[in-house]
Amino acid sequence: MRAVVVAAHRTVRGVIELACREAGVTVVERAETAAAATEACRSSKPELLVLDLELPDADGFRVLTDLGDGCPRSVLVLADRADGDLVLRALRLGARGYVTKAEGLRDLAATIRRVVAGERVMTPAHEKDAMGALGRMARRAREGADVEAGLTPRERQVLELLGGGFTIGQIASRLGISPRTVETHVAKLYRKLGVRTRVQAISRAATLGLVDL
Amino acid sequence: MVVEPFAVVRAGLVRTIDASPGLEALASVASADEAMVVVDRLRRGRSVILVAMGLAGEQDAYWLIRALRERFPGHVILGMGANADPNAISRALFTGADGFVDKNVEVEEFVAAIQASGGDEVVIVGPAAASVGTIAEGIERRRSPTFRLTRREREVLVVASEGLTAREIADRLGVRERTVTTHLARIYGKLGVGNRLAALRLAARSGLVSISQDE
Repeated sequence: MRAVVVAAHRTVRGVIELACREAGVTVVERAETAAAATEACRSSKPELLVLDLELPDADGFRVLTDLGDGCPRSVLVLADRADGDLVLRALRLGARGYVTKAEGLRDLAATIRRVVAGERVMTPAHEKDAMGALGRMARRAREGADVEAGLTPRERQVLELLGGGFTIGQIASRLGISPRTVETHVAKLYRKLGVRTRVQAISRAATLGLVDL
Repeated sequence: MVVEPFAVVRAGLVRTIDASPGLEALASVASADEAMVVVDRLRRGRSVILVAMGLAGEQDAYWLIRALRERFPGHVILGMGANADPNAISRALFTGADGFVDKNVEVEEFVAAIQASGGDEVVIVGPAAASVGTIAEGIERRRSPTFRLTRREREVLVVASEGLTAREIADRLGVRERTVTTHLARIYGKLGVGNRLAALRLAARSGLVSISQDE
């Protein structure tokens, strides 16, 4: 069993290495940055990746998205903090374990053994937070799809331009229609989004995934 | 309340629920139609509605979950199935379920899932609990408008991304030009866009096609 260990701080790397050894895992490479971590995983193709999220050049998730399907089979994420969105993101990217440095460093060897054995490892509280995030995500996705289905192509164009920071006048000249008509579209958009101001409209649309900010 | 097409399973579920402290089976029905009628008559506060994913026909489980979510937002909806794949669970959550329970778990676990449901957290009990990441990915995918396209429509869009005319797309796919323009019109309608460029931009954003940057 071979592992790549990624953490910015030498002491944290040391603790992880010690735990790996105790769990019977050989550390084949170490990295301090996301870029080096991706490279190390590509070259040595380990079975286990122990990944600190707090890296100097990017967050640790970047390593997992860059590796894509080439991710090691077992991934254990180590973080300063945990909230539902972070834990869910780690799970979506294929992580099997998620521990915070405050709670997780002490019995890290046991955690590594379980992760390598294919178990999912996180505290019940983190698990609960992740399920809360999953619920919010499903609700937003449903609402977003509903609102989107109710928009006309023109309203969608106007919404995208609003999100891009254009004024009514600019939108009108871009679409070759009168400012009055744009105002009408905007009023309908507000109603469909259930908002009253432009800022609310844009933030609501972004939450629902209708525009990219 | 239990919505389950198979009589024996239905009876078993009702007995299990009635035998559990703090739980009571208010009603049990075999179809989505009946479910909508009976829920409307429930004069209780927040109740848990267990919907068997195996409900078949036009008014299937997803239809029912969606209808319940819209008309009775106060109730808790749990999908229920045997060895359901993550994709089915994504769809159930996306249409409005608050969770999913596998019929293949121990009775105590099944009951615990009903009791735990109704909070802010999604409840997933059974083998699928190990696939939360995949389930979340599935929800995200459903969100993308290109998901609503049929396979043929996707094919047309992918070929269109090469910048071909309707005539050329038709030749490539071995269909008539008229068919291609019909497909394109339907694609624009589904994606809510007015032209091919806008359709391709949306498709690119959801990863269906890739458009080169250097044009």
